[in-house]
Amino acid sequence: MASQDRLTPTLLHPTTTAPLLKVRNLSVSYDRQEVVHDVGFELGRGKSLALIGESGSGKSTIARALLRLLPGGAAASGHVEFGGQDVLALPERRFRPLRGRAIGFVPQDPGNALNPVRKIGVQAMEAAALTGETDAAIRKALILETFAQVGLDNPQRVYDSYPHQLSGGMLQRVLIGLAVLPRPALLVADEPTSALDVTIQKRILDLLSRLQQDLDISLLLITHDLAIAAERTDGLVVLKNGSVQEAGRTSAVFSSPASAYARKLHADVPALNPDRYVKLRDPSLHRHEGGQAPKIEVSAVTKTFAVDGKVLTAVDNVSFTVPAGTTHALVGESGSGKTTTIRLLLGLDEPDSGKISVAGERVSGRSQQSLRSVWRHLQLVYQNPFTSLDPTWTVERLVREPVDRFRIGTPLERSEQVREALANVGLGEHLLTRKPGALSGGQRQRVAIARSLVLKPDVIVLDEPTSALDVSVQADIVEVLLTLQARLGLTYIFVSHDLALVRQLAHTVSVMRRGSVVEQGSVADIFENPQHAYTASLLESIPSGISATRPLVQPKQRRVARQEQIA
Amino acid sequence: MSNAYLTYAAKRLGQAVVVILLAYIFTFVVVSILPGDPVTSVLRNPQNGFTEEEIAEIIAAQGLDKPIIVQLWNALSGFLTGDLGMSMRSNRPVSTLIAEVLPSTLILASAGLAVALVLAMLVAYGTRFVPKKYGQGLLRGFPSLFLSVPNFVIGLMLIHIFGFQLGLFRVINPDSFWATLFAAIALGIPVSAQIAEVLIANLDREAEQEYAAVARSRGIGQARLFATHLLKPASLPVVTVVALTIGELLGGSLITETVFGRTGIGSLVQRSVSTQDLPVLQAVVSLGAVVFVLVNLIADLLYPLLDPRVKIIGGRKRSPTTADETAIGATKAVTP
Repeated sequence: MASQDRLTPTLLHPTTTAPLLKVRNLSVSYDRQEVVHDVGFELGRGKSLALIGESGSGKSTIARALLRLLPGGAAASGHVEFGGQDVLALPERRFRPLRGRAIGFVPQDPGNALNPVRKIGVQAMEAAALTGETDAAIRKALILETFAQVGLDNPQRVYDSYPHQLSGGMLQRVLIGLAVLPRPALLVADEPTSALDVTIQKRILDLLSRLQQDLDISLLLITHDLAIAAERTDGLVVLKNGSVQEAGRTSAVFSSPASAYARKLHADVPALNPDRYVKLRDPSLHRHEGGQAPKIEVSAVTKTFAVDGKVLTAVDNVSFTVPAGTTHALVGESGSGKTTTIRLLLGLDEPDSGKISVAGERVSGRSQQSLRSVWRHLQLVYQNPFTSLDPTWTVERLVREPVDRFRIGTPLERSEQVREALANVGLGEHLLTRKPGALSGGQRQRVAIARSLVLKPDVIVLDEPTSALDVSVQADIVEVLLTLQARLGLTYIFVSHDLALVRQLAHTVSVMRRGSVVEQGSVADIFENPQHAYTASLLESIPSGISATRPLVQPKQRRVARQEQIA
Repeated sequence: MSNAYLTYAAKRLGQAVVVILLAYIFTFVVVSILPGDPVTSVLRNPQNGFTEEEIAEIIAAQGLDKPIIVQLWNALSGFLTGDLGMSMRSNRPVSTLIAEVLPSTLILASAGLAVALVLAMLVAYGTRFVPKKYGQGLLRGFPSLFLSVPNFVIGLMLIHIFGFQLGLFRVINPDSFWATLFAAIALGIPVSAQIAEVLIANLDREAEQEYAAVARSRGIGQARLFATHLLKPASLPVVTVVALTIGELLGGSLITETVFGRTGIGSLVQRSVSTQDLPVLQAVVSLGAVVFVLVNLIADLLYPLLDPRVKIIGGRKRSPTTADETAIGATKAVTP
């Protein structure tokens, strides 16, 4: 822990009882179009407040407005009072000293938040310089101390690294470290964990909570996950389309949401509603049960890669079977071998040993040409609908491409199939001529699903199909997927790091870690009674929203600083 | 300096040699299949007064009576050993002729490049710091303006204004400091346009990156943001662009030399073209190819050393994104 004298927040007088941050009538517009309307809230000293809403709700815009980091063309009006000063009215010259020193910022995507061509140490020096410390050696010691404090294993090595040499979790620790290093009075965290794995998410949030309490920092947490907000904050502001829907004490809003939108947010969080889709999910299971041969059989598959002369076992002796009409989930953190496993399943890579068959046909050991016949029955829905669809193509062309490629039926029949596939995912025909840019994230992912459906496959591989989407949109897509499964008897392979989501929609699950399956079984068994410590730790990472009334002094604080290895 | 880098460097070097040889063969073939026979037309020019025997002797001495493939072989082996043949006009070795004028052209071209870089930096810097109301838009228009004015026009204007009107330099002494400077300016202006264009676009892009906003949230001001954060990533692609503008610089120096009356490769080429002195032309074109390929080779070899994100995989340079994707597809992803 740092010496006490550095804990005094800069430029502020802790004697006042007035709230640290007071936002009144804040409106923000981009090119004269108002996106945030008349928002107001207060944040007390040492308290925490969550701004919650889906993308487009204006929550990130509000954060940027407070930091005066809005992009060109954006204008903010209203009052943002911080420590008694109206932030929006200050000239840039007077506001700049507050940045970093008094208001710290933790960004959303750690992978893009540090300059990629400069070493972390040089960038950390910028934050250390804000302390006013003139001796460079002391500044460096301060940085290393902070890195250790945020749970970085080897501070000196991190200091000498370029950003791309560290994992996302480590970068986020660095960024949090840099934000708290000058001891600001307020920390603005803009979805600090949405780009991270669940287990890392928990550790990062634990770290933020701990630092907030230890250093008496006020925390403004921006998130789309109600469960996270409920666990971590005292107050809650629910936003939709730039307007406040509901605000109040977190425990009150969480246990009895007054607005319809807050209730919907609550219902859409998988962790809070594990059995939401049971009725939709399970009929298909019963219908297709009955001694059939499994649709997918993966037995003892191993794949190694040579990286820089070292042999890395990406998939190590993995086996699983999936009955027709059910969903099998592959769960694990980044680097657990999920992605390689589905690449092998799709025939995009050849396993070193082992056998894979789909619908009785062998996938491994085939030529590209003969794989085409397998692909007709085996389709992939990619993770990010914002990058997986060609932005210059129309929806019709996108969905139609597979049937054209496989030359199925007459052109007229193909158009019919395109319409059917779109109808299946609940998209109207008026969208046929649109391009992806004119669609929302949810609509895009529906188009991607329609594209995989149009060939009438038996098996669809879903590679984190909702990880790029908001909770409410995710609920939408899950419903589409389950409805399709019930109606068409599809078999899904569902790759995810989100256990709460897996629990909602999968029947069976394989938990993967470092290329091997550590545990396997029905979702109910694994979730009720995990046998492996790793599974238990994954389950523990799911934000439950339960600690809604966070005790001010936690009796036994769990060690947050679990060390991460340099990737 | 890893093994992978050395493999990569060796590969690129091999490619460069192949390109130079192909360029030499190509110009040789083009010159040989040109209509008309420049050799005999020069030799048979009555003003030269060669007798038929002398002509036959010269042709035999130059090896021009041999089959074309043998001629190519002789020329190529000469080229590789530094023997560029004899000028048909002055009867002196081509290498001597080139060596006489090369320094002047090199000085002009490097001065031109320096002018281009400084100018491009100034314009790009201006687009970030000159407020909109004081003509930032005008600055952004500079590259297209520079690019659309031919450099001989710029050269003539500079001579007129600074040479004749202001008397800063004397046109009859083209190698003086001021004359060289203004020739370099005339040469550098169009070249700076391309560099500035790329620099401005990259600076705009980098300024919108998340890391720029995060750096500002640490209290970094605009000027420091530009100097310490944006300039380096924005300049990296400029290395490639500069290498590509070498052609522009070489071509431009020929014209600029003529306009400013400098003796250089330009005037040598001009003389050789009008007298159809083929060995000299062949040598100059090949020299151009060598310079162009070498500069681009240096740029390619430099790039992985400048940009820490560039990884070399299997002897090939990979951009950051492909490298990441490979890593994710391959095994343990570096970033989630």
